[in-house]
Amino acid sequence: MRKIFIAIVRAYQIATSHTAPRCKYYPSCSNYTATAVGRYGLKGFAMAVWRIVRCNPWSQGGVDYVDEHLDCADVKNLLIDNEKEVVGAN
Amino acid sequence: MSFILNPLYDIVSGVIVAIHKALAPIFGANSGVTWSLSIMGLVVLIRIILIPLFVKQIKSQRALTALQPHMKEIQKKYKDDRQKQSEEMMKLYKEHKTNPLASCFPVLAQAPIFFSLFTVLNGIAKNKPHGFLKGDYLVSAAQAKFFGAPISQSFLGSSQTTVKIVTVLLIAFMSGTTFTTQRQLMVKGMPKMDSSNNMMLQQQKIMLYLFPIIFAISGVNFPVGVLIYWSTTNLWTWGQQFYVIKRNPTPGSPAYEELQRKRAHKAKLAGKTEEGIDQSEASEPEVLGQRQQPKKKKKKK
Repeated sequence: MRKIFIAIVRAYQIATSHTAPRCKYYPSCSNYTATAVGRYGLKGFAMAVWRIVRCNPWSQGGVDYVDEHLDCADVKNLLIDNEKEVVGAN
Repeated sequence: MSFILNPLYDIVSGVIVAIHKALAPIFGANSGVTWSLSIMGLVVLIRIILIPLFVKQIKSQRALTALQPHMKEIQKKYKDDRQKQSEEMMKLYKEHKTNPLASCFPVLAQAPIFFSLFTVLNGIAKNKPHGFLKGDYLVSAAQAKFFGAPISQSFLGSSQTTVKIVTVLLIAFMSGTTFTTQRQLMVKGMPKMDSSNNMMLQQQKIMLYLFPIIFAISGVNFPVGVLIYWSTTNLWTWGQQFYVIKRNPTPGSPAYEELQRKRAHKAKLAGKTEEGIDQSEASEPEVLGQRQQPKKKKKKK
């Protein structure tokens, strides 16, 4: 079920990728939805709906991850750096 | 699901019937023109409601010029890390309380309206009333014709040649307007892409040609009425974008440069013919390159 839903979201992304980028947030609403549903299922879907409602003309957007401590660029870079260190040690 | 959609059926059918009532004395109650214009009127109404949002977006796009140096800095600093780059860019927008991007909600909010219109018009074909479109109206709408094709018929659902011809023409028109709208945006409307965005541009190019095909495949299932709605929306989008690109383009795009050149040229001509009269106004657009924004927001800590 989750996989089907994520596939639909991805199809939407491909179908709309020809237009100019639209979303006020990073990651975009659709990416957020795919991550949230993949991780939390129905609760993730509710999170996604709330995110889309927040993505309205009166919001200012910004950086908004499903899980800040898992997805943010700094954390990812840190992980990559750590891996390099491990490789270096060997 | 029906508790969400029923009010939407009421609104969609209500608007169509209301416009139909207003136009019936002019074109006749059973005329196809009346019914076609009713559907187009629905589109125009929706798009007029959405105009303020559009204006808001354009305004924030103009505010971008002030941020350009910051943006370049970010791009340089994180050129190897796309994610970090996007993150920082969004933070910058938020800091300056401006965001050039539209938002997801208005687009997704239109989807249920489109869906209800589809259901309402399909209801005409199946003789099933929805909302205010019932009784005499339903009978009248079912036989209403758009260039000879009943608005309730679809390409695959009808054997009439006129229906086939009209639907094909409408689909061609839809594809044509979408294609030109996208092309116009890509060629003139967007800030110039650097090499890092080249792959994205390539992808967009493929989509540009693929999308009309997708349109054609899905369009054959839709009744003529829905195609009228779709074509009108596309035409409106095209016109709106044409106006904006000409009069108020995104800073950094080719259209923006063109407009600045034109303004500078005009100012020069005006300066020659009416020397000394409009000095203050004429001198302003002559400053090429970055134009000073009237309002510059201060950085907030």
